[in-house]
Amino acid sequence: MAPVVDFLQNCLDGLSAGAAYALLAVGFTLIFGVLRRANLSYGPAIMLGAYAATWLFLQTGAGLLVLFAVAVLATVLAGTYVERLCFAPHRKGAAAAAMVASFAIWMQLEELATLLLPRHLYAFPALYEGGPLTFGPFFVRVESLLILLAAVAVCVAGWKVLYATRFGIAVRAVIDDPRAAELSGIDVGAVSLRIFAVASAIGGATGFLIVASHEQVTPMLGMWSTLKGMLAMMLGGLGSLPGAIAGGLALGLIEAHSQWYFGPQFRDFIAYLLLFVLLAARPPWMNTRSAY
Amino acid sequence: MDEYAIGVLTSVGLLSFVATSAYLLLIAGELSFGQQAFFGVGAYAAGIATAMLGLPLFLGLLIAMACGAAVAALVGLPALRLRGLYFAMATLAAAEMLRILFELFHWQVEVGGEVVGPDGTQGFRGIRWVFERGVEPLGFLALVWGMLAVVLVVIHLLERTRLGSAVRALGEDPELAGTLGIDVLRLKLAVVAAAGALAALGGALFAHHNTYIEPRNFDIMLGVHTLAYALIGGLGTVVGPLLGVALDLGLLEGTRVFQGYRMIVFGGLVALLLIWRPRGLLDERVVHWLRTRR
Repeated sequence: MAPVVDFLQNCLDGLSAGAAYALLAVGFTLIFGVLRRANLSYGPAIMLGAYAATWLFLQTGAGLLVLFAVAVLATVLAGTYVERLCFAPHRKGAAAAAMVASFAIWMQLEELATLLLPRHLYAFPALYEGGPLTFGPFFVRVESLLILLAAVAVCVAGWKVLYATRFGIAVRAVIDDPRAAELSGIDVGAVSLRIFAVASAIGGATGFLIVASHEQVTPMLGMWSTLKGMLAMMLGGLGSLPGAIAGGLALGLIEAHSQWYFGPQFRDFIAYLLLFVLLAARPPWMNTRSAY
Repeated sequence: MDEYAIGVLTSVGLLSFVATSAYLLLIAGELSFGQQAFFGVGAYAAGIATAMLGLPLFLGLLIAMACGAAVAALVGLPALRLRGLYFAMATLAAAEMLRILFELFHWQVEVGGEVVGPDGTQGFRGIRWVFERGVEPLGFLALVWGMLAVVLVVIHLLERTRLGSAVRALGEDPELAGTLGIDVLRLKLAVVAAAGALAALGGALFAHHNTYIEPRNFDIMLGVHTLAYALIGGLGTVVGPLLGVALDLGLLEGTRVFQGYRMIVFGGLVALLLIWRPRGLLDERVVHWLRTRR
């Protein structure tokens, strides 16, 4: 019985971690869908948001709702800055330049965050004070359920916006064919900026949920968010909302099982190996045509 | 020259090898997030050759280049048909796998009563060939820059041949290059392997400069930095990557004016520079203008 219990508990842990990856991947995939560009600065913008909230908490001891608002606001500001500086000027061609510029701003945001809070570790108030839910031999953290709920809510809301509003129609038109969208009177630049702001708001909320669930912030948050988000986005296929959720949950499950059966160093190895094999084998859901 | 200047100049030279390897792939139309791993392969291979097997440095460098080319080709082969972000992510995944393999790599032997060899995350100490032969820092600097000069001259001359034009054609438009009779996949594989060998050569020299290497030296940060160097310097000429490295290390670290804010200044400068010149300072147009002015 014990192996089965372990297996199922691993699945629960994997889905818990995967919910955060899924949320990160949703932001990446929104930006990628519209701009056909990978925004390396997405994680660092999230980190800056979390750092701003932590700073405010240390100064004033503000409550969770205020911290949430600050994290979202700071991430949106950082995201908008990234869009104006790295992506708006490189809309036509120059994909490499856009990617490298977003890396340069990564350095900037990360240094800004560490100037704000230079220590390696800061405590963050807990999202939920109680212990994990237990049923039988299994347990799940309430924080993880909240993050999973948020991921599903964001996905459903995103779907609604994309398919039931004028803004959504404009976004889908830009995704299909930016030039045709421009010719039919859609302001492609404005759509990109707004999508960036929306994705950053999701990112800020995700960052808040992650640090409040871990009850700490470290300078690793930026790189971690970018890597996990990109990995989850690629696993699920680029530019698709359900794909991002599936990719995030799949990444969580893969990591949890490989950590349990092969040890922590193989956890990351297997995730990267799977991505590499999938990229090389090109299953139908990963449309590997030329794209940034 | 004081010790500090020698140190900075040596670092500029060492990083230029990786930046130039990123440049080779950029002019062939691909972004690689993985050159740091081949730098690492070279560092480990050369360290094993000189410190553990007792081979001379010259042989160590050759072995490193062979290993770098072989591993790069092995990684490149399944990824050849990928482009853009897909190629970049495949190289990143491969590089991170290699870094984790360095962390799991334990192989130590006793040399002269001392245990040397890769020890997982503890790194690989005692790569002292250069130190034991009494090579002065200035002498090592000359070695690094001498080899870099050879590499740059060779690439510069190659760029003026049909092969060089074929690589540029591949970077401009792979479909068109294919219809012109260029074997696109084979050429891309050759570029990947050459870039791997070049990065490995830099890594081999780096290992002997530092005498100590660890898996963390070869993480993604190095990879993205080298990509940035190549792109800032410019894709018009092979001196571009060197200029990129020199701008970052020489200007910002060398002057130490912006201490504490270096990344904020450098990051902003890079982003602004790329708006003005998306293909770097010495891009094709500038290089063409410089050439035809005479």
